Amino acid sequence: MSDTTTAGRLHAAFADAGVTGLLHAVDIDSGAQVGAGADQPVCTASVHKVCVLVTLHELAAAGEIDLTEQVECPPAGRTPGPTGLAAMLDPVRLSLRDAALLMMSVSDNTAADLLLRRVGLDAVNRTTARLGLTRTRAVYGFGEMLATMREDAGPAGTRALTDPHVLTRLRALDPARTNRSTPRDMTRLLTALWRDEACPPQYGAAMRRVMGLQVWPHRLASGFPFDDVHVAGKTGTLPTLRNEVGVVEYPDGGRYAVAVFTRTANPAATLPAADAVIGTAARIAVDALRAP
Amino acid sequence: MDLVRHLECFVAVAEESHFGRAAARLGMAQPPLSQRIARLEKELGVRLFERSSRRVTITEAGTLLLAEARELLARSDALLATARRIRDGETGLLRAALSPEFSGRTVAALLSDFRQRHSGLELELHELSTAEQLAAFAAHRLDVGVIHHPCDVTGLELGPVLRRDLGVLLPRGSAQAARAEVPLASLTGYDLVLFPRAHAPAVYDHLLTACARGGYTPAAVRHGQGASFVRGLVLSSGAVALGPRDTQLADPADPDLVWRPLAGAPLAWRHSVAWPKGRGDAAVDAFAEAATHALRTTADARAETAARPLHLRPASEFWL
Repeated sequence: MSDTTTAGRLHAAFADAGVTGLLHAVDIDSGAQVGAGADQPVCTASVHKVCVLVTLHELAAAGEIDLTEQVECPPAGRTPGPTGLAAMLDPVRLSLRDAALLMMSVSDNTAADLLLRRVGLDAVNRTTARLGLTRTRAVYGFGEMLATMREDAGPAGTRALTDPHVLTRLRALDPARTNRSTPRDMTRLLTALWRDEACPPQYGAAMRRVMGLQVWPHRLASGFPFDDVHVAGKTGTLPTLRNEVGVVEYPDGGRYAVAVFTRTANPAATLPAADAVIGTAARIAVDALRAP
Repeated sequence: MDLVRHLECFVAVAEESHFGRAAARLGMAQPPLSQRIARLEKELGVRLFERSSRRVTITEAGTLLLAEARELLARSDALLATARRIRDGETGLLRAALSPEFSGRTVAALLSDFRQRHSGLELELHELSTAEQLAAFAAHRLDVGVIHHPCDVTGLELGPVLRRDLGVLLPRGSAQAARAEVPLASLTGYDLVLFPRAHAPAVYDHLLTACARGGYTPAAVRHGQGASFVRGLVLSSGAVALGPRDTQLADPADPDLVWRPLAGAPLAWRHSVAWPKGRGDAAVDAFAEAATHALRTTADARAETAARPLHLRPASEFWL
């Protein structure tokens, strides 16, 4: 089998950015696909918030949850994080759907755990199983995941996360022991979400709206610097891991679900090229799917 | 049928989604790999891949079998590692590698020290880049090696990480050569001679970022590796090169070139011994000790200093 241009270009783009990259991209309407290691197990990190979002809306559609229900979020016991409720200092009261907005738009860890507690971890796994995501599983919430990282990092805390010894023992970086999926499972989830197969259309529209409000410009969106192209997505980040799954929509009606999971050789936290290659790889894949 | 070997082929093709790359990773040619997959499909009575002229895609059935295949291979590895450890570790062959940045003195010290520790064991030492070593670990062709960080350490166990401070090679007549220690920022205006980026993109980027952090952003990076080529660039074209104290070009008797330490030791190569997780044994330990000792005594290597502050930005998404 000869090396195809797309596979070769993906490989080169990942190597050039100093990452190992896995990708799956699919044309939501035709089912045509492009893959690079699409069935390898990956740590989802915050990408798993998409599964929480779908579960929440599924329960709402079933009449078990009211998305406008108000919940209290006191300052004590919040899951740590640099954004949203996780970073706020005072008591907050908000609706479940606004918590979902924070979870998706700024990856708010407190909002995510608040929703996860409300729907239950088992419900999230039931939802992904129902959608046929056989390789996707949540084993714990976001606060618990961060707690294993604190434990594995030891007394030096965050700054130990660039130490290669610490990286080899972080349980959160082992797909067998943390929340996991595969690139193909994630595009299957997004395809269901965009085709209104996961939830009825009004709930689908609500989910697509919050995924389109994600603030980060540096990963998937960076590969599509076109005013007339819409990008919706959810990132996931852990030491050496940079992920994003999302949907890219062109004005001619073409829409493509893309899942990119990368692992950097360099443990540094700030690596703009490693973020940007997620967009570069997605664009290579989408261009291949759009090629006449 | 050798089920383990066939499953290795299955997992490699599944992970690479490409027969050519899978064959390269397994160190075999493509036709026998295709034959093995076909034989395995026949044996299992299940179609594992959809093949077209342009790509290979795993089937639903293949996906269902992949996790079990991985598990079985991991168990097989564990069994072989246990068997290795049950053998006394005093007989047999240890396949080891060093990345190419070390002097002959370091290699000699390592070999003689290892022989003293483990006289009964045959050591087969190769010169391999870090990328080549990681690939050889995955393909079970290498037991232990000395690697250059940063690199992807997934699935590895590591010995202590040692740093070798980098100094700068300058023309003897340059203003900076008159100083005992050269501040990195004072190199502004010089081009930088560096190995080609494709050899190790992460190490290359890490070094340029550290230069920038220290106030030195070279206007141009010139790519060169051979000692005489680097020497020529430094002597004639307004460029400087970086290297540890025991670098080949840092000869105090050289009439034209000088090596000077950088003030505050802002740049370093980082190395450690590494071996695949779960495959360590007495021989690997002995190599790790010999290599670490050789680096400390002959390559000017020392323990890493305290970690620098790490300011996570909001896009990091996690917070401890």
